[in-house]
Amino acid sequence: MAEATAPKPSSSVKLVLLGEAAVGKSSLVLRFVNNDFQENKEPTIGAAFLTQKCNLPTRTIKFEIWDTAGQERFASLAPMYYRNAQSALVVYDLTKPTSLIKAKHWVAELQRQASPGIVIALVGNKLDLTNETSSSNPLGEDGDGEAAEGEDADGDARKISTAEAKSYAEEEGLLFFETSAKLGTNVTEVFTAIANAIPETSLKGARGPGASQASAGRTEDQSRVNLTGPRDNASKEGCGC
Amino acid sequence: MFNLSSLVQKAQSLIDPTQALNLSASDRNPAKSTLFRHQFRLPDSQTPLQEITAELTISPPIQYSPNATQGEKDRDRDRGYHYAGKLHLSESYLCFSTQPTSFLQTASTSTSSGFTGQTHGAGPGGNGFTLPLCAIRRVERLHSQSYQFALAITTWNGISNNSANETSKTPAYQQKITIQLAGSRQACERFCDGLKRGLKSGVGDVGKLKRVVAECYSEYLLQGDGKKSGEPPDAGLGMLFRYPGDARKLRDRSKMRLWGEYLRENGRNVTLIRQPTFHKLIRVGLPNRLRGEIWEQTSGSLFLRLEHPTQYAETLAKYEGRDSLAIDEIEKDLNRSLPEYPGFQSEEGIGRLRRVLTAYSWTNEEVGYCQAMNIVVAALLIYMSESQAFFLLSTLCDRLLPGYYSTTMYGTLLDQRVFESLVEKTMPILWEHLVKSDVQLSVVSLPWFLSLYINSMPLVFAFRVLDVFFLEGPKVLFQVGLAILRINGEELLDATDDGAFISVLKGYFSKLDESAHPTSTNAKLRAVTRFQELMVVAFKEFSGITQSSISEQRMKHKDTVLNSIESFAKRTSIRNLGPDSKRLSTDDLGALYDRFYAILYERQMRSQMIQEETERRMKASKARAAEVVNGLGETQSVEKGRVGLGPSPTLMDYDGFREFLAGIARWAITDSPTPPEKDPASDRDKHSYFGNSVRRREVSLSPWGAGNPEPADHEFMQRLFRRWDVDMQNALTLQNVVTGIAHIKGKGDIMGSITYFFELYDDDGDGKVDREGILRISEALLFLSRRGLEGSLTPSTSMTGLSEYEAGNGGQTDGPQGTTNERFLSSVSAFIRRCFEYADPDHPQNQEAPGDSGHTDTPDPSALDVGEDSDEEEDLLDLGPEASPKRGKKSTGLPSNPPASGKQENGNQRSVSKAQAEAANAALDPSKPLHITLPTFRMVVLADELLEQFFESSFPASFRISDKLTPPGPASSSSSLTTFSNIGFNRASAASSQAASIVGSSAAGVVPPGKGLRGVLDNIVTDGMRVAAEVRRRMDEAQKELEKNAVHRPGDDEEDEEEGYDGTHTSSTYGGDAERRSVRSEDRDLLEGADAEAMSIRGQEGVSEVKTSTLSPTTPTSAEPGRARSISTATQKVVEFEQ
Ligand SMILES: Nc1nc2c(ncn2[C@@H]2O[C@H](COP(=O)(O)OP(=O)(O)OP(=O)(O)O)[C@@H](O)[C@H]2O)c(=O)[nH]1
Ligand SMILES: [Mg+2]
Repeated sequence: MAEATAPKPSSSVKLVLLGEAAVGKSSLVLRFVNNDFQENKEPTIGAAFLTQKCNLPTRTIKFEIWDTAGQERFASLAPMYYRNAQSALVVYDLTKPTSLIKAKHWVAELQRQASPGIVIALVGNKLDLTNETSSSNPLGEDGDGEAAEGEDADGDARKISTAEAKSYAEEEGLLFFETSAKLGTNVTEVFTAIANAIPETSLKGARGPGASQASAGRTEDQSRVNLTGPRDNASKEGCGC
Repeated sequence: MFNLSSLVQKAQSLIDPTQALNLSASDRNPAKSTLFRHQFRLPDSQTPLQEITAELTISPPIQYSPNATQGEKDRDRDRGYHYAGKLHLSESYLCFSTQPTSFLQTASTSTSSGFTGQTHGAGPGGNGFTLPLCAIRRVERLHSQSYQFALAITTWNGISNNSANETSKTPAYQQKITIQLAGSRQACERFCDGLKRGLKSGVGDVGKLKRVVAECYSEYLLQGDGKKSGEPPDAGLGMLFRYPGDARKLRDRSKMRLWGEYLRENGRNVTLIRQPTFHKLIRVGLPNRLRGEIWEQTSGSLFLRLEHPTQYAETLAKYEGRDSLAIDEIEKDLNRSLPEYPGFQSEEGIGRLRRVLTAYSWTNEEVGYCQAMNIVVAALLIYMSESQAFFLLSTLCDRLLPGYYSTTMYGTLLDQRVFESLVEKTMPILWEHLVKSDVQLSVVSLPWFLSLYINSMPLVFAFRVLDVFFLEGPKVLFQVGLAILRINGEELLDATDDGAFISVLKGYFSKLDESAHPTSTNAKLRAVTRFQELMVVAFKEFSGITQSSISEQRMKHKDTVLNSIESFAKRTSIRNLGPDSKRLSTDDLGALYDRFYAILYERQMRSQMIQEETERRMKASKARAAEVVNGLGETQSVEKGRVGLGPSPTLMDYDGFREFLAGIARWAITDSPTPPEKDPASDRDKHSYFGNSVRRREVSLSPWGAGNPEPADHEFMQRLFRRWDVDMQNALTLQNVVTGIAHIKGKGDIMGSITYFFELYDDDGDGKVDREGILRISEALLFLSRRGLEGSLTPSTSMTGLSEYEAGNGGQTDGPQGTTNERFLSSVSAFIRRCFEYADPDHPQNQEAPGDSGHTDTPDPSALDVGEDSDEEEDLLDLGPEASPKRGKKSTGLPSNPPASGKQENGNQRSVSKAQAEAANAALDPSKPLHITLPTFRMVVLADELLEQFFESSFPASFRISDKLTPPGPASSSSSLTTFSNIGFNRASAASSQAASIVGSSAAGVVPPGKGLRGVLDNIVTDGMRVAAEVRRRMDEAQKELEKNAVHRPGDDEEDEEEGYDGTHTSSTYGGDAERRSVRSEDRDLLEGADAEAMSIRGQEGVSEVKTSTLSPTTPTSAEPGRARSISTATQKVVEFEQ
């Protein structure tokens, strides 16, 4: 629509991070938002909220990021965070096989319970713990297949091959990345890819369709701890920018 | 009865565990003992034994003066502070509080009245003390004129200080308090007697006391005057890594001085007396080195430690080197706990944190470890020793933050809900705004509560909140939260989304140390920090938020929160059930989930109630007061299994499995329910709420619960259980059950179903089922069909066909017959026969089959002669030496139960008995080890229309999951059976006990365990006559029924019947056999009484004719003709072999 000199249109996108404890969700967000990394990041209690803009050629996306707690018992809180989310980052630790299983559970839950059409990215974090990154050669979404093959070198902490995760992602229609929050590998790429994947329609008028769709699914989650009562989604539009 | 939907929600635990929240029973009508313990922060071992109105007089500490005159003593007493209140005595504590006791009126019982008040377990807010009896050194009865009854209590205050000087036993600061009892003389005497007893038993604990007290910093602080000796006790990591904050700014030194004074005058740790100054000193913030000790004192964890001083060390030692999920989770977070505090970047700090969290996870495995606990414990460890932190953590999890860290985090969610409702009530405009802007309050407030503001506010301020929290209880969290919102109200009203909302609060927390009124001209006002302002708003403006208003709100929201947790758990759990679950519908999965957990939950409740009931009976003689208290305590625990509250059982044992099956399949309900021990008048829906033990008596002691169908216990069920128990843990998970059901129900193809059945009986997995197995299979078939068959069996058509056939062969049949069930019986009998016809002989060496004790004698030659038409049934069925004299009249038959209707009649017995005879003969002959393979089994099944239908539809359909057809109520379904069981079955089993056991362990339901086929037959014969009348009546009924049916359903089976008839040449031989007929009528008589067994015989009588029909060309199986031929050849072979 508006192009050239006119200020790029800007819209808000709600994004939720899910995944097992200590896979690096908060670290990814911290890298994306502050381009920073903390070795001893406190576990997230409940959830944390941050925002960050993402500039695309044609528009600006303002991510409203909900970073959730990873421990299993916090799972029942998750619905109040992914409610109305247009996108989700499901993170696993590629040195921990259980974390991928958990990630799959989250994907399944999102597909069934979250807003229809939610854009989901599967992210294998801690790429720096594998050998192949020592070349500091950020893996594009496409180059992963080969990288996975030659990885049995000693000292490689990788437990989940790129191929395995990637084929799962393809099966489920997810975006897929391997990242390192520590080194910053692929982090902005993930968010940019999500921004690009959000359908234009759900952006126009901020959250028009997205919100109305979501409200249908919400009734179910309303009994969760969150604030209850009918909410006026439209009132949210104003704060997008 | 429980209603299922709520029950359902109670079950489950996929999410993980919690600890007991005890909300329902105890909060609605809290036990007096609970309130008592909460108010005085006492361990659970304590119960309120006595109470009396009293006045407390605290004299300033006096120098020890044993020779003081009475007059001097009186003077001392008058000089001190006076407080009116109530004095309480428990097993090991003497407590006093000026605050009206926290016992609700409703908590009172007949034993004692006068428990009133509104504080609702708010904690030791009032002035007074909580004195362990072992800390009392001496009690003197004062004889003064002014008081009727006064006690002077001398404590062991400062006991550790004279360890060097044991002999003198004279504390440097003797603490003496005087209490005047106000009450009747008897009441006072009684109280004193109780006190005396308590003191005596407390004497032994003085050693413990010394040890515990020695770890308190106050002991060091108050050590003599001048120089201190020895190492100071561990007052946390702060001693090594400095305490957070600027000590000067915190005015730590002057606080310490004030505390020193207070403690000197009012006792320390266990002997501490709360006076108004105490509360004030806490409000202004505790000094670093005393903080841990005062936390311990005010929260009551000190008393826990006193109770088990070595528990921490012992727990660590006991579990040393062991691993657990909790430990994995703890390890993940060790480096992530207050990383900004230097102590937690050191091995020392991390080690302490690891040990405390690990030890706690072992003592409370249900909670294990929850993120946020690491932060809280890290904070505690800055100010206290490991052991102190351990007990304080227990107190937090068990009492102050109930359910917060549980696996469902129920308490956290509930308190968020409560917080929201308080916001709505106290700040309606802000609330309105939040709702409008779709801002989720709990997003910000949840971490406040879960980690006690520790990672929301700068540490120094969070600790000040904690100071008050430990003294005044959970309401403080709410008050502070509300105050935060109130103070930031204006700005929050401008925030229109979560982001803005959160950043307002973030900003606020970062400026807590700044002036609240920076622009004020009033210097004093300018000096007030934002944090001070927060405290004032919290405790002044929101002073109306009390423990009782919070309890009330919790009650109100509890169910909603639990329900949503449970439905979430259910959803998640069903979603994660794996690929097998896809074969079942979502409805079915939901229903399975509900049923599975409902059964686990009910079973748990029942066993608990039974246990309690037993205990109750056992201690019926105990003192009444104690019993009432215990009764209440137990009541609370009843609610425990609820899913939303935390970990509930996830494994179903075999008995649970039986119960589960009985709920979804009619065949799994027993025919011979144990008579109820007492009348089932229990009102189970009330049990969790009532608090009085009288009603409890109504609790049924039946292990299956009143009104539930009692499950059968058949070998088939055991096999099914073992088959489903793929993890070999002798118990089933929901996953196992779903997979199990999915394989039976979800396949929808007959081959799969046949294979499944075959595999159930192929014990060693070698693809062969031996003689024993064949008999067991047939037993199982009869067991499964004894209440009729389900699904698309189209009983109408087959029945009509049969009737028509009968009509056409009037000469041969003289009774109404041919219900599906009967026909099924004949199918089974044909099945056996064919199995043996087709069976492959085993190795000749395996001659003696074990267990055939009835056949030790030389086989009857005729029995060996399995040739087609040659035998008389009596001969065929070798009943062995034990056979009853009537055996000649007996027809052969497999044991089975009658169809549910119980009104069948039958005809065509001749052919049946022949087939039966053959089958039995072959089956019983030990000299012919043989087996069938899956292909044979399949062929045999497919050779029979009914069997085919059974495997195709009725067996899978007999598991009714979510369809509404589920068993008629327990009562109704069994009532039709009871007659049978009562009349015939029990007798049968008694009589058959001597009978040889042919089929070793056929279980109850069809055949009593250990009784063989023949035993049953014997019984039928023996008992038959007695119940002849009954049978006749039923036969009449059956006939009517049949005629009715016949009218409605024109048949088309005639051709089949004819064909089959020709095909096997069996029945014709016996068609006109007079003897057979007489046998048959004999049987009919037998039938009556012997119910199930008798019925089966009848059914079998008709079998072969029906069966033969299945071999006709019209049968769908293409291999039909060939098979018919091969049958005979096979038979031939067997015969040859035998000869
Ligand atoms: N080597 C390496 N470590 C990482 C990386 N990302 C995170 N970590 C470390 O993993 C640990 C957990 O990181 P967090 O970001 O707190 O994990 P989280 O998923 O937010 O954890 P929860 O909040 O408990 O759910 C921290 O110690 C991080 O330093 C990474 O890319 N490489
Ligand atoms: Mg995190």
